[in-house]
Amino acid sequence: MNHKTAMTLLPAGADGQLGPFRRFLLDRHIARCTSCRAEQEALHALSTVVRTSLPVHRAPPSLAARIGAALPREAPPEPVRTRLLWPQLGFGVGGALAGAALTLALMWTPAAPDRLATEAVANHVRSMLADHLTDVTTSDQHTVKPWLSARLDFSPVAKDFTASGYPLVGGRLDYIDGHQAAAIVYRRDRHIINLFVYPSNEADALPRMEQRDGFHIVRWRSGGLKYIAVSDVEAAQLQGFVTLVRQAAG
Amino acid sequence: MPHLDAAFNLARWLTGNATDAEDVVQDAYLRAFRYFDAFRGDNFRVWLLTIVRNSFLTWVQDNRSGRLVFDSAVTDFAGADTWPDPSPGPEAMLLEQVDRDTLATLVAHLPAEYREVLILREIEDLSYKEIAQVAGVPAGTVMSRLARARQALRTAWMQQSGEGKVRGGRKS
Repeated sequence: MNHKTAMTLLPAGADGQLGPFRRFLLDRHIARCTSCRAEQEALHALSTVVRTSLPVHRAPPSLAARIGAALPREAPPEPVRTRLLWPQLGFGVGGALAGAALTLALMWTPAAPDRLATEAVANHVRSMLADHLTDVTTSDQHTVKPWLSARLDFSPVAKDFTASGYPLVGGRLDYIDGHQAAAIVYRRDRHIINLFVYPSNEADALPRMEQRDGFHIVRWRSGGLKYIAVSDVEAAQLQGFVTLVRQAAG
Repeated sequence: MPHLDAAFNLARWLTGNATDAEDVVQDAYLRAFRYFDAFRGDNFRVWLLTIVRNSFLTWVQDNRSGRLVFDSAVTDFAGADTWPDPSPGPEAMLLEQVDRDTLATLVAHLPAEYREVLILREIEDLSYKEIAQVAGVPAGTVMSRLARARQALRTAWMQQSGEGKVRGGRKS
């Protein structure tokens, strides 16, 4: 290696950014070049000085709070990318559902958030914060459904999906969109899914997914009932859950 | 807030003051939050620092219209052979005697693209490849820019310590 090349490579060498071959050639040159040796020493010294003596500015404590306060309001909800949804589904609920999910995913378009989405998220959060997740706590679907049916003027499906990775946790009465609603609670790993169900006169509508404050919300209408699923699970997992519910509801 | 200190330190060195650095960092985190779905890499810190740099450039445009901050034409095309031949021996010792305030002042007076690569390399300990990603230039440019940044810092330090000696001589 000639001296000029060595001088050019010295900084990268001092930074440990050379491959083994160039490293070897450079070391070979340095071994018999006092000028390069001094330059290498100077580079190491400079690097050490900057690393040890250059003031490192730490973020003031108020900055994290300031950003945190700005985040939810300023950042618009991200559109859910349908393209990525169905390959992930294979992990969640099994390949058998992938075909159905693909059909759904193609129709799954982002919707503008509105007051109902806000209310659904608020109910979901409150259900976990207020330690009032369930009125009836059981994974037995034959207990949850009669319990809800006895207290509401409709009969929601409350099937256990443990086999698919979404065990039924229980049910409770809730209030949303001006209606008494069934809140059927499921679990996905350590995440809670609230499924709100209440009667609706509107026409059937396919599932639409949106995102708000870090939660995914999927809503659809079917058979005179309105369904809203809310959770902080990943979009694909919530979509898998919705597919299960729709199949169970027939 | 992940990597907030790293983001703030870079912004602080780029803007030169804490108030503007806070604005730049806040803007960067809002952008990061908005575009998090687009993050495909394996190093979130590198991705975030890239956004901090972009936020800084936006801040420059909004606050100092017309002023050229990153002047790559000046810095990246001069050859390594134009560097002064380093005098062997005592320079390394001299460098080790630099005090914190002096060093901070010298770095603060370097051009922004020198400050940037120095901070990313020496404080954040990023590889050339990662610095290239943040600065949006080829890795080869990072190598030459970093070398010239150090050269500029050394030259400034030598000048400063030379002046110090002259002043000291006059006093005594």
